[in-house]
This record gives sequence, structure tokens and C-alpha cells, in this order.
Amino acid sequence: MTITINNLKKCFGSKVAVEIDNYVVHSGDLLGLVGNNGAGKTTLFRCILDLLKVDEGTVMIDDFTVSETEDWKHFTGSHIDEGFLIDYLTPEEYFDFVGKFYNLTKDDVAERLAKFDRFMGGEIMGQKKYIRNFSAGNKQKIGIVSALIHHPQVVILDEPFNFLDPSSQSIIKHLLKEYNQETGATILVSSHNLNHTVDICPRIALMENGKIIRDIQNVEGSAEKELEDYFNVE
Amino acid sequence: MNLLTLYRIISKNKSKEERRNPSFDSNRVVKFLGYFMVFYFAALMIFLGVMFPVMFREIAPGMEPYHIMNQGFVYLLIADFLTRFLYPSLSKDTKPYLLLPVRRSQLVSAFLLRTGLQPMNLMWMCVFVPFAALTLFKFFGIGGILTYLIGIWLLIVMNSLWYQLCRMLIAESPWAYFMPVAWFALLLVAEFTLPGLPVSRFTMELGEGFIMGEVWAFAVVLAGIALLYMLSLAFHKKYLYLELARHNDTKVKHVREYRFLEKFGEVGEYLKLELKLDTRNKVPRNQLIMGLVFMIGFTAAIAYTDVYDGFMTHYICVYNFAFFGVMNLGQIMTFEGNYIDGLMTRKESVYSLICAKYYLNLIVLIIPFLMFLVPVYNGKMTLLMIVSLMIFTAGFVLWMILQLTAYNKTTVPLNVTITKNRKTNSLPQMIVLMGAFGLPLLIESGLKVIFGTNGAFIAMLLIGLAFLVAHRWWLKRIYRRFMKRRYENMEGFRACR
Repeated sequence: MTITINNLKKCFGSKVAVEIDNYVVHSGDLLGLVGNNGAGKTTLFRCILDLLKVDEGTVMIDDFTVSETEDWKHFTGSHIDEGFLIDYLTPEEYFDFVGKFYNLTKDDVAERLAKFDRFMGGEIMGQKKYIRNFSAGNKQKIGIVSALIHHPQVVILDEPFNFLDPSSQSIIKHLLKEYNQETGATILVSSHNLNHTVDICPRIALMENGKIIRDIQNVEGSAEKELEDYFNVE
Repeated sequence: MNLLTLYRIISKNKSKEERRNPSFDSNRVVKFLGYFMVFYFAALMIFLGVMFPVMFREIAPGMEPYHIMNQGFVYLLIADFLTRFLYPSLSKDTKPYLLLPVRRSQLVSAFLLRTGLQPMNLMWMCVFVPFAALTLFKFFGIGGILTYLIGIWLLIVMNSLWYQLCRMLIAESPWAYFMPVAWFALLLVAEFTLPGLPVSRFTMELGEGFIMGEVWAFAVVLAGIALLYMLSLAFHKKYLYLELARHNDTKVKHVREYRFLEKFGEVGEYLKLELKLDTRNKVPRNQLIMGLVFMIGFTAAIAYTDVYDGFMTHYICVYNFAFFGVMNLGQIMTFEGNYIDGLMTRKESVYSLICAKYYLNLIVLIIPFLMFLVPVYNGKMTLLMIVSLMIFTAGFVLWMILQLTAYNKTTVPLNVTITKNRKTNSLPQMIVLMGAFGLPLLIESGLKVIFGTNGAFIAMLLIGLAFLVAHRWWLKRIYRRFMKRRYENMEGFRACR
């Protein structure tokens, strides 16, 4: 599934949050989105997911203009923040609830969840706790799993490494890479963690003041130096 | 930092909080209407303050008007207490100040001071200033008027602390509603069952004490204020700790799944979600309980007593059928605002959600219907009337309330606590909710003129049926309107999360 951004502009008052002329995320890309705070990463994701009204331009997922139809929602999975979670459900209930929208039976959901057992680390399933009572890290895991459970062809994750412990960060890196290779899904991941981004993303977009200022091909970690120079990492 | 400085800082911050609230601008019309109502009621109260001396002299020529007024202090306190429910209560969000070098008791005291000094406590002065000027001046001069007004103000301050304490406990449990009911009922029972009307005699003497500037009268009220202050302080501190500890590992003893709804597909999933929303979250749960309690209470009052006869029977009947819908659907989407992004990234999930909410409210209509069968059996109502009003509510009234799906855009926290329980209605909410209670009666009256009583009920039944049959069509239209306004609504939801 290709994501095509055409003349996209989103302003908040007089501040231009996102301004991208033309940008294509090709089918099967695993794209890392990096940039300082306020660069426009989350706003761009929200525009792609039709959660914000764009001032100009369009976003297309394959042949679907996201603001004109809802058909793209069937094959898209996303997690941005806690606003995606229904926090008075238990994780099991939430996964079943999400699964229902994609015609997954309880057994299907259970089978798919098994693949995330290591990632969830025995701290999420069977806890008899509502999502609101989980730690920030475990909520993040629930959000990520729910975004992937229906095997979407497009995955959008905003700062997926946030709040996660080091082993979970490592697991999710492998999960995403594997998922991309196995399914050929288009994956967009934003992060402030340069190492993780460089480790898993063959392509990295660098955002500054709402614009994609560099589109970096990352072969065998070649983007690391360029990114470290940009962010003045010593 | 002393208490007054802290009070000033908090008051300034709270006023900024209100002005910078995302719903401030969109609620301008509501605010204007609010101010208009305040001026209207102030004028009405001044009028009453002027008229009471004349009225009281006619009713009891042998007594001074202020004696009669003072005998009615209990009714004043009840009226004041109930009026406060109409206004958003003061925010008591102490959390942002907890890590500052200020004692917690001092912090809570500053918030309680705000309660005592709020302008609303001066509202009754609109009655008492003209009343005191007309009745007290000739006997006691300016001094008597001043001490009387100070006494009344202290009484109202005491009542405002009592109200805040009740609200705090009600936020924790809706059963706390029984606390003020029991207190005022106790006063009234004591008044009417014990010999010599002891409560009104006491308040008459208290009022006399205010006028004469007697220390005991002020001491009694100040003791009441001190007691309520200490109770509020203790409860506030206790709940503050509970609230801060709320993110603990809270295990659920039994997770209720409502599996029987699974056979209804996506709508069934949302019916499950709706039941879980209403049972697992404090605000919707309290709302649900209050909705059911009032609905069942009023229905029982019609069914088993003669309290509401004649026109009131009609009104209460309409009101009861609509009440649950108003309570439940008047806030539609505002709870979902907490997780709207998740819903919006799934196709047509909001459509299924609206359907589920509609069906749930249809099912609830059976409760007042069954209860109204008793007055039907007793001959107070006709079966045609209750069937007609139920179907009319199921079709027309719920259709009207559900329009708010497209217009509600403020998130209401699901588990609002003692410190954050402010809630205001937007203009569309106010219009629709007033319409939900008023329009059925207007339509019924209009139809009665044309078709007579039974004809009107049959016409309402048919109107309701038409809406009921067409519900999928108009629910889809509501969903489309919601989708047209989705960006604006999502921004609103996010802004006040």
C-alpha cells in the first residue's frame, strides 16, 4: 500500500505545523520519521489518519483519499497515544473489541496474540485489570498490539519505543522488522531514538518545522552519522 | 505564604482556567443566557424583597414581617441548596499546588475560602436588602439592617459549605444524595411533628438575634461554619490521597462480559461497550443511577400516590419517558471523547455506537411503561396515553436528543473526582434538552385542539411509530452529519481531555 502526500498543509493559527509538497511512502517501506519536538511528526500522522482537517492538499493510501472515504481503515493499523485506548476495558476485552471490527473471532484474536506473548511479557494478559490501571509502558504495548492484531497493510506508530523498558524496545524493533518483511506492509514509525530508527528503518525522513527536509536512504546504518550531525549528538 | 495570598493566587489561576478553557468561546451564547437569567432572577428577587413585607402584613397582621421571614429560614436554605445544583460547582483541583511549599491544610482552606466568598453567596441579598430596609430600618436603624444582613450572609456561607461537602461525597458515591435529603427532611419532620413548631421558632429567634447583634446568634452560625469547615477539610484531605493513589494496581474481582450481546454483531459489541461504560466509570454510573432513581421515583409517585394529578400526571409521564434519554443521550459522545481517535480510525464504528445507544435507550423505556401500568389500572391514565407517549419518546424524542451526536464536542472525564467536577451544557445541548421535555407537551396540546384527547394520542403514536420504523435511515443521517463535523468535534474533544 502506497501512501501519497500531495501539497499537504496544516496550520494551527499562524503556525504552519506541516507543509509537504509531494512525498510518497512506497508499498512495503519501513519509514522512520525523526525530528525535534514540534517538528510536525504527530501532526503528519494525524493528517494521514484523517484525524485532523488539512488546510490544503491530500493524503492518499493506495487509491483512497483518506478524507473522502473510510475504506482505508480496514487495512490500516495505528497507535498514537492513550486517546486510542478504551481504558475501562481489560486488555483481553479491548483486543476482542478491536478484532470484531476486522471480523476476527475470539480464537483468531487469541491465536494472533500468541505472537506477542514475549512482547507483553506476562504483564498484560490475565491480569484482571482495566487498561486505565496499567503503567504507561504496558498501555503503550496494548496500543501497539491492537494496531497490529488485524494484520494491517499500513501501520502507523507514533513514538512506539516511548515508556518501554529496554528489552521491550528491542522486541518491538524485531517484531516490526519481521512484520514488514513477512507481510510487505507499509510501516511508518516516528521516534526520538536515533539508534532504534537507524536499526530498523531502511528509509528515514527528517522533519523540521513541518517540512521533510531530508529523505535518507539508510543502508547498513549509513544514516547514523548524518542524523547525529543534524541533532548534534556527541 | 499566608492564607489570603494563597487564596488570591488560586482565585486568579482559576479565573484564567475558566477564560482559557477551550469551550469558553463556544459557550459565549450560553454564558450570555446565563448572565441574562441572573439579571432576570435578581430583578425578580428584588421584587419579592419589596413585596414580602406587604404580603406578610396581610397574612399575619399581628406579627412583624421579619419574624415571618425568619421563621422560613429552613425553606430559604433548602431553596439555596437546590439552586446550587443548577450552577457548575467551584473547581477544587488542588493537585497542581501539591508540590509547592504550602501546607496541604492551608491549600484546602484556601479552596474552602473560595467557596465561602463566592459571589453566589450574595444572591439572596437581592431579597434581603430591600426587605430589611423596608421592615427593620424604622425599628433598628442601619445597625440592625447591617447585622441582620451579615447574619443571613453567614447562614448562606454555611449552606454553601454544606453543599460543597455533599457534592464532594456525592462525587464519590451517588448514595450521598440521601445525606442532604435526610438532613432537610429531619428538620421538616421535627418542625411538623414536635409540638410548638420548634424549628421555625428557633430560626425566628436566630433572626431576631442577628438584628439585635446578639453574640450567641452569630456564634451558632459560626460554629456551624467551623464544623462544616473541619469536616470538609478532613474529607478533602482524605479524598485527595485516594485520588493521588488512584493509579495503583487495582485488580477487578469479577469482569462482567455481557457475552449474550455478541450475537448482535458490531452493534452488540457497542451495546456491551455501553454497558461497560455505564458500570465501570464513576460519572456515567452516577448519571445512570440518578436517571433511574428519579425516573422510578416520579413514576412511583404517580402510580401509588395522589401527589401528581391532573396536568402534572401528563407532564410527569412525558418527563419520565424522556428523562433517561436526556440524562444518557444528552451527553452523547462526550464520554467517547476520551478515546475518539481510536473510534475514528475504524470504519463506521461511530454509526454502530449511535445504534447501540439508541437501542439501549429503547429498552430502558420499558421500565416506566411497566410502572405506569399501575396508574392505568387505577384509572389515573389510559393505556392509550402511556403507549402513545412511550412510542412518541422512542421515535420522536430520542431522534431529537440523538441530534447531539453531531454537535457535542466536549470531553467529559469518565472518572471525574472530587476535585474536577465541572460540567456545563452547550447551547445545542440546552436547546435539545429543553425541547425533549417541552415539545411533546406542546405537540400534544396542539393535537388535542385538532383531534381531541384520544385523537391526539393516536396521532402521537403514529408520529412515534413513523420515526421508529425509519430509525435506521435517520441514524445514518445523524452519522453522516457527525462525519461532516468530525474535524471540529475531534479538535474539541482533544482540547478538553
